[in-house]
Amino acid sequence: MTSWRERLVDRTDPELTREIDAYEQQLELKKQGKVEANLFQETRLRRGVYGQRYDNGLRHDGIAQRTLPFPCGDLKKGPETVWDAPGMSRIKIPFGGLNPEQMELLADLAEEYSDAILHVTTRQDIQLHYVHIENTPDMMRRLAAVGITTREACGNSVRNVTGCHKAGCCMSETFDVTPYAAAAMRFLLGHRDTQDMGRKFKVTFSGCAGEACGLTSLHDLGYIAKLNEQGERGFAVYVGGGLGPVPYQAKLFSDFVPESEILPLAQAVCRVFARYGEKKNRGRARMKFLVHKWGIEEFRAEVLKEREQLTPDPAWTAYLDEVAAYGEQPPRPGAPLGATDDAEFEAWRATNVYRQRQEGYAIAMATLPLGDLTSWQMRQLADIARKFNGGYVRTTVDQNIVLRWVPEADLPALYQAFKAIGIARPGAGTIADVTSCPGTDTCKLGIASSRGLAAELTERLDAKFGTLDPRVKELQIKVSGCFNSCGQHHLADLGFYGVSRKMDGATVPHFRAVLGARRENNAHEYGQTIGAIPSKRVPDFVERLTGLYLDQREEGESFPDYIGRLGKKGLKPVLDEFSEVPPRLVDSSFYSDWRDAREFNISDIGTGECAGAVVSRIDFDLQEAERLHYEGQIALESKEYQKADDTAYLAMVEAAKALVRLREPNISDDPDAIVAKFRSEFHDTGLFHNKFVGGNFAMHLFRRHEDKARRYDEDNARHLLEEAQLFIEAAYDCQARLSEQPQLQPSLA
Amino acid sequence: MNLHKIGVKVLAQNGDSVDLVELIPVFHRWIQTAAVEDLLIDVADYSHVHQGPGVMIIAHEGDYAFDESRGRRGIVYYSKHALGGELADRLAIVTRKALKACQRLSAEREAGGVSFPGNELEIFANDRLLAPNTDETHETLAPVITAFLDKLYGEGAYEIERENDPRERYALRVRASAPIEIDTLLERVAA
Ligand code: SF4
Repeated sequence: MTSWRERLVDRTDPELTREIDAYEQQLELKKQGKVEANLFQETRLRRGVYGQRYDNGLRHDGIAQRTLPFPCGDLKKGPETVWDAPGMSRIKIPFGGLNPEQMELLADLAEEYSDAILHVTTRQDIQLHYVHIENTPDMMRRLAAVGITTREACGNSVRNVTGCHKAGCCMSETFDVTPYAAAAMRFLLGHRDTQDMGRKFKVTFSGCAGEACGLTSLHDLGYIAKLNEQGERGFAVYVGGGLGPVPYQAKLFSDFVPESEILPLAQAVCRVFARYGEKKNRGRARMKFLVHKWGIEEFRAEVLKEREQLTPDPAWTAYLDEVAAYGEQPPRPGAPLGATDDAEFEAWRATNVYRQRQEGYAIAMATLPLGDLTSWQMRQLADIARKFNGGYVRTTVDQNIVLRWVPEADLPALYQAFKAIGIARPGAGTIADVTSCPGTDTCKLGIASSRGLAAELTERLDAKFGTLDPRVKELQIKVSGCFNSCGQHHLADLGFYGVSRKMDGATVPHFRAVLGARRENNAHEYGQTIGAIPSKRVPDFVERLTGLYLDQREEGESFPDYIGRLGKKGLKPVLDEFSEVPPRLVDSSFYSDWRDAREFNISDIGTGECAGAVVSRIDFDLQEAERLHYEGQIALESKEYQKADDTAYLAMVEAAKALVRLREPNISDDPDAIVAKFRSEFHDTGLFHNKFVGGNFAMHLFRRHEDKARRYDEDNARHLLEEAQLFIEAAYDCQARLSEQPQLQPSLA
Repeated sequence: MNLHKIGVKVLAQNGDSVDLVELIPVFHRWIQTAAVEDLLIDVADYSHVHQGPGVMIIAHEGDYAFDESRGRRGIVYYSKHALGGELADRLAIVTRKALKACQRLSAEREAGGVSFPGNELEIFANDRLLAPNTDETHETLAPVITAFLDKLYGEGAYEIERENDPRERYALRVRASAPIEIDTLLERVAA
């Protein structure tokens, strides 16, 4: 076999193969200069192919900013992104669920296309860094063959649907949200109503209101499991939460939505967001701003109105049959375990093991430093999972990995197995289990080294973990490299995000402290922003502040309460104590960041791709028409005349659909319906007419559409491809005229 | 076999004396001074990971690392893009890059006196499409690799052990009977 496509095509859903083929063709078209940079960028973002630091071809090496002379020359994969520059691939793992086969494949991909490291994100995805764009189609094919997608992992789309890692096993859950999260993921993925949003959209499911696993408050759309008085299943629904520079708590949309309604509701919310959400100002485009601007009552009314107008879809409830049947099957019976005399094991057990509601079973957590594990560890972990729990593995929002359904009696053996592969650190969920975003290591927007700081804090806290006071142990630290909050610093007892300060003629890395969040009740209260501390003083600040807390706390006072009591004023002295930066001659270490020896500077900060550019639906549709045309040309070259002919026709239908959608967003894919609507709205009205040839180009479509006894031969295929090219050009022309003369724009139905 | 994604690890002696974090400034310096071949992009620190890639230099053509996989530290270099020549030439290119990095690292003060006796190598194929860890791959690659090793160490002067987990990359662990200078190995690679 000469290609992954050939090898895997029989094991892959044909629709996924088609999608990836289309993506691969887009790469080819981009290399030929036939796709506009913004459009290509958003296309690859929607396939999880993201930019990385220095991908504009510039890097400050500590002495000067230098050009990275990649061999691709001027070829770009975005407006400011060099083709050859390594990038990040985000792989969606719905609710964090993985099986051993998927784990092994991920391990292979990390080795072959990345740097043999798998990074678990705060939204349960897996990220690979330093991936070359040319490797991404093969990577996607290999993932698709084991049921994983990168589709809509980035860009203005519905991101990974997250969920409690304890779902189905949790003592406090109302019911297992897993099948609902899976259904939402399937329903929203690629859904036509989620393709035109101005910004990303995050969905989560939690099993109960009390714990913080699902982190509902920071999501655009959050579901919390609930039973009504009749004992029927449903969800409390929250909307409009989000972190970022301006964090918003999600608002209660409804305190009970029946299970049969959650998908249509999601669809209606997406439609309202797509239609009314901000599209121009990127900083105000998340749905939280819309909810805030309108107020929850108006937002709710609009969504409910939209819901009423939706055409019923069997997919809304089809999955409910699976819900009843859903359940994981542990391979071994549960078996309790009493106290052992192994102190080391017991220390790990105290923090890393959660007793399931099913008697004799436990969830065991592998604490990953900075969310990282190696390919080899992942492969070994797959074996461990097969042996101990039937392969039920999940990633967590705290960047760890759990094995569910472990018979408690097997925990000592599991601990030894974890230890053998270096993932048996105790302290999961404690102060030593520091969460961090990628920061300046790989993120284009990073200001300070969140991973460097997190690594330093982890090392220091690990070293004294055994001697820490339990009230300090239970605190959490989360670090972001900038105000965008990917490290979720707003949710920590001690949160930090990277900033910089000018001092002594230089730029000095700092972290702003965000203290005292309350994670209970699905993270219902974010931390308060205090002052900035030089990066190199943060570990000492943590030690001092936690020490003060122990000394000064009142009877029964929690850390958030203590921070609340002190307030900014009360915290100022401790901040002042740590805010000073010595002159460079006295201590130059302050002028570089943790684990980065270069003199600190912020010139490497690039333009983020978090949201990509706003590319309208019509751009994507016309691009798809172009791609089909290209596919037709390839077919002609390989003498597949029928395929070439049919594809050229489909390319015209697609271009016509792009325009028709301006008038009728929900037009079906039926060519008869599209051509009829195109004729009445664009041809008969003269909107499509070119000033030199009038409506001639439209006739190319009409003739081929009506040709029911088509003769397939080389000549016909070649001519039709030429006509299709003209038709697509005319559609672009029409789009341009409409955008220049808005009075001509057909109003949305 | 049209294999281009090839890696070579040169095992270190007293590698444990190296504080991985201390290598971060060293590797940044290498980028500043273009101390090793390739378009050097950035340093990646994985010192926090158990037996991982340690500290790396990410380059365009390939990656360098002071790696500690399987608990053995050493310099690794693996290519990521097409290399010129026949398979034997590609193997030589990759080995040369790894050996030169060893030479360079042994001279660095921060490297804690690490040295490379030159008698232990790992050679791997980082491409499961072309070279999965199968007997078929072994039959195809082993003659080229052994010819190359004969050149480095002399016929019969080394032992080979093959990675036995079929899920892992195709890899050979090579142990020569006696240490050999990195300079000498470089000369033999070039010959
Ligand atoms: S918080 Fe900032 S530095 Fe961290 S990943 Fe997000 S955008 Fe990048």
